[in-house]
Amino acid sequence: MNSLERVFAAVTGHPQDRPAFLLNSTLYGSRLAGHPLPVHYSEARAYAEGQIAVLETFGPDLLLSPFLAAPLGEAFGSKATPPRGYAPNIAEYAARSVDEALRLPLPDVDSHPRLVYLRDCVRILAARHPGEVPVAGLLLSPVDLPPLIIGMDAWLDTLLADPDLARRFLDHLTPFFVALGNAFLSDGATLLALTANFANPSLVPRRVVEEVSRPALQAAFGQIRGPMILHHGGPTLVPHLDAYLGLPGLAGFLVDARDSLVQARSLAGEAPVILGNLDGPGLEHLDPESVGIMCDRILADRAQDSHFVLATSAADISLATPPENLQAITDAVCRSRPIPP
Amino acid sequence: MTEGFIKGMGSVTGGSGAMERDWCGELVSYIRGADRVAANALISDWAERSSYESAVVELMAPALELFGKLWADNAGDTSLAQGYVAAKVAEDLLSKVLALRETSGLPPAPAKGPVVVGNIEDDFHPLGRKMLVAFLRCDGWKVEDLGVDVSPGAFVDSAQEVGARVVGASAMMFSTAKNVKRLREEVDRRGLRGRLQIAAGGAVFRLRPELVVEFGADGTSPTALQAPALFQELWARSVRLFPG
Repeated sequence: MNSLERVFAAVTGHPQDRPAFLLNSTLYGSRLAGHPLPVHYSEARAYAEGQIAVLETFGPDLLLSPFLAAPLGEAFGSKATPPRGYAPNIAEYAARSVDEALRLPLPDVDSHPRLVYLRDCVRILAARHPGEVPVAGLLLSPVDLPPLIIGMDAWLDTLLADPDLARRFLDHLTPFFVALGNAFLSDGATLLALTANFANPSLVPRRVVEEVSRPALQAAFGQIRGPMILHHGGPTLVPHLDAYLGLPGLAGFLVDARDSLVQARSLAGEAPVILGNLDGPGLEHLDPESVGIMCDRILADRAQDSHFVLATSAADISLATPPENLQAITDAVCRSRPIPP
Repeated sequence: MTEGFIKGMGSVTGGSGAMERDWCGELVSYIRGADRVAANALISDWAERSSYESAVVELMAPALELFGKLWADNAGDTSLAQGYVAAKVAEDLLSKVLALRETSGLPPAPAKGPVVVGNIEDDFHPLGRKMLVAFLRCDGWKVEDLGVDVSPGAFVDSAQEVGARVVGASAMMFSTAKNVKRLREEVDRRGLRGRLQIAAGGAVFRLRPELVVEFGADGTSPTALQAPALFQELWARSVRLFPG
């Protein structure tokens, strides 16, 4: 089986020659390709070389576009920090309030340089191994875009105190999200992976989830023309999985390292793909043997789960992670048994 | 919450006396509902019957203590938004108290500290730090807030300038939390180890408390609401080691 077939089998619940696996290596690629981070995060070709190097070194089953929120904020006029050892962050917001942000034009996904960079990453990767290795286009759902434009405090204030205004802002942002998501898919992404932290009841109260966030996700996801994987973002996902179940287009959930995979499966039901749950940033502090043991344990636990993909959770695998630790993941997957139907 | 500021406030107002309403329970319930408007209305109601200063001592402090326990235990579907609202309500109340003190010509309330806080270098996630500042101030600490992206040198310069014995470094992500180690090195390089205690906080330290030791910080607290107790402990440790 090639990677595309393997991932497709995981989505559809068919037998696999071995479990599929995903490394959140969008930062790590710069180390393997030898590109400085400012180049890695601004030149699509350099970024893609990093992903190809990850593929050739460790053989994960998915290629990823940059796990990078800052360009989405930059597209609205926010300012990002230069990358210093890790992905850039937003340092200065485009607007101070929702009212001000509503007056900003929506960025053009075909011409804004930072969005073109993201799209070029997808295009180059998709063209590299067509029909062999799937590509995930990474972005943020509409509910997570406002913190990049007005900051988290202003967004929380609005969600809590003025739900009507919050809804208006989400309605305003949804066409941008839909345009970018569908553009990634037409550029060759096999699927989208996204976060929706502000629909997680560990961040915002249930009433906000029910009255504002979930309806916005429902409307936005319904317009995406391809499958989506929900990434847990920062918080744990499983205790609040019900907030996301049944949303259109969601094919799976990438859960946190603290989440229980058994519980995730039990709550999600049979069909959605469950991905996880190695602590990606934490791999830096382990040795290959411990990583191998951890992977073996997860894979043994999920041996009968034909909708499971071994994946690193949380943020990017850090640059300082010994390559032997990532190789230990590959080795564990390769010695694992085939997945029955 | 610790006691110094609270006692100082209480002595100014003489307290509110017995009131039959479950004010504290109501306030916690508004905080849990993340309803800042209703929480502030309740406090105004209290102040009409007593005073804003007594509200700090007799209402806000026990409410934050109660909510802090729920938050730390992650009980009852607690969310970040609730912690945020608790901080905002505390901040709103303190602003009123300080404004009243200023207009009535009263001297500033007795303060603990000073302490210095900021987001560690390269960290631009201010929410947790702002909550920390609100809870520290509500507990009577004089806080020098340096904002986001604070270099180790700037932390220590400021601490030396204001005479702080504790610096609080906030980081949301693992990548930036590593810079706490550089703060440790800077404190040591200037011969201030022990005298200047480092409190590390933020989402990443809550998820991976072992990083506190690894990066050389002197302590952490699971939530911003519990930080005043940590700062009290670190301050006392510094005084014990360097009484002068």
